[in-house]
Amino acid sequence: MASVHFDWKKSSDTVVLPASNSYSDCAAKLSDDILISNIRWFIIFRWGVIGALILIHVIALLVPDTLIQFRVIEENNWPITITLILGIANLFYIYALNSSNPGKFNTPSVNLWLQIIIDLICLSVVVHFIGSTATPAPFFYILHIALACIFFSTLESLLVALLVSAMYTLVLLIEYSFAGQFFITLSVDPAIVQNGKTKNHMLFWMIALDILFFTVWYLVSRLSLVVRAHEHQLAEAYKRINQAQHEKDQYAVLMTHQLKSPLDAIRSKINLIKGGYCGEVPEEIKDTLLKIDRRATNMAGLILDLLRLQRLKETCSCSAETKPVDIQETVLKCIDKLTPVINTKNITFNISVDPFIYNGIPDQIEILVENIIANAITYSHENGSVEITSNISKKGKNTTLTITDHGIGIDSDDLPNIFNEYFYSPRAASHNKATSGIGLSIVKIAAENNYLNIDVTSEPDKGTAFTVVFPKVQFPFTTEKTKSSSVLDSSLQQQ
Amino acid sequence: MTKRIAHVDDDPDIRDAVARILEKNGYEVEHYLTMKDFIASLEQNSNPPDLAILDVMVESMDAGLTAYAEIQKNHPSIQTIFLTSLGDMIRQYFDKESDKWVCVMEKPVEPDSLLSVIEDRLSQSSNNQTGKAY
Repeated sequence: MASVHFDWKKSSDTVVLPASNSYSDCAAKLSDDILISNIRWFIIFRWGVIGALILIHVIALLVPDTLIQFRVIEENNWPITITLILGIANLFYIYALNSSNPGKFNTPSVNLWLQIIIDLICLSVVVHFIGSTATPAPFFYILHIALACIFFSTLESLLVALLVSAMYTLVLLIEYSFAGQFFITLSVDPAIVQNGKTKNHMLFWMIALDILFFTVWYLVSRLSLVVRAHEHQLAEAYKRINQAQHEKDQYAVLMTHQLKSPLDAIRSKINLIKGGYCGEVPEEIKDTLLKIDRRATNMAGLILDLLRLQRLKETCSCSAETKPVDIQETVLKCIDKLTPVINTKNITFNISVDPFIYNGIPDQIEILVENIIANAITYSHENGSVEITSNISKKGKNTTLTITDHGIGIDSDDLPNIFNEYFYSPRAASHNKATSGIGLSIVKIAAENNYLNIDVTSEPDKGTAFTVVFPKVQFPFTTEKTKSSSVLDSSLQQQ
Repeated sequence: MTKRIAHVDDDPDIRDAVARILEKNGYEVEHYLTMKDFIASLEQNSNPPDLAILDVMVESMDAGLTAYAEIQKNHPSIQTIFLTSLGDMIRQYFDKESDKWVCVMEKPVEPDSLLSVIEDRLSQSSNNQTGKAY
């Protein structure tokens, strides 16, 4: 007896692309959702900076001389002030984001602007105290320019770059007391006037860093524009794909209709003759008509199966709505639908299925169960039997539904290929001339979309068992207590 | 009183099959080639049919669905049955509420099931009217 486990792993991750309305959106800011998620990230990052500042302060308490030597800290304890300001500001940002009602002055954009301004002021204080030209601290301004380019429009990011330039210039002026030049007239101490060499040093740093700030602004804002334009194009392409998908579905529906309509007309006429609406017909003609009808029915089934397969392929688990599906009810519904075929072959159905619920795409689970049961009927011998059983595992993990027939079975060589599209097995085809090879492909796609696995065990001339593995199921509240007694255990002897 | 049934389908063979079955079973059948003709007849005639059998894809892909919406809105007393080649595949075009009570039959025309569904729908209609009278 051959046995094969079919496992179709499918990622549940979905990429949701923002849909921009016009190309001008590329130059605009990002959406509020993206801004909010980044604001939260900045707040976390700021808590990290606050932690680092507290650590500096602790080290300063332990070894004050070392930090003063490296100009990391002065005697005036600025880290405490900065830590407090950043901490209070961070709490305020969180309050504005989570607790306060959104309004004209409480938008993600305003929140982000406030964060940048306060951060720049704090950074300027740090740069002032640890040195505006002697340490790499001023380079942290670049980080703010880059972030502004990413999250703001080009114009707003330019404003941030200008603000950074002004702040750094101010820090330089204060540090080099160049501002004193302006206060000479106000009789401020003239001794503070610097010599030419220091002035040149300061001017060199001011010009060099200003060039750096605006170069970074130009490059990052340009890059940001390119990225946003690509994002826009991607969203447009996504929209076009959806539209094309819709048109494809419409076309498939139209083709299905056009192909099936003549068959339906032929079969309707046959039904009229069969029903005696066209008078008495010789038995020989009736038999011939039945044969024509059978082939037309198979053809019509194949046409509808093609449409089903096409639709299932297009429906991914991300776009379809999932709902709790009662598997016991689904099995009974499918049996009900298949009753005419069951009657034709006089198949006995033994059903013992516990009530359990699986969260999946209802239509597709029904198609899956119906196709497996239909398969069991098709490949059973006349007057044969089919068993449908369930096996509930502990905690609802890996609950199974097994459909077993005692029909022609599957050769071990064919077993790994049975779910392949249009797979043709001469043995199966000789038993069922109407086989299209689509039925199990439909099962495979439905299983894939619903995260189900299927085990197939088969032995030629003995029969086949399809076991659908439900990874996580629930039990109805009303039946859980009486689960053992509520097991559906019926034997349907079809007439 | 003879029940009047309107049948809209662009396929002459289907129209013929439905007419033979229904007329032989005592119904009065009116045929329409397009939904437009049927809706126009409803507007002109003060005595609407008891039941309407609609195809879905007649003059356009969703003409049957549009006509159905209009009948529900302006002539709620008319019972409606969809008789379409696509069968249950059209259910996705209905919202969840209406999915429960919209009657969809798949072609070909099968005399026994067609008659049984029509009788069922007409008896529902009679029950509703009796209920209203009380």
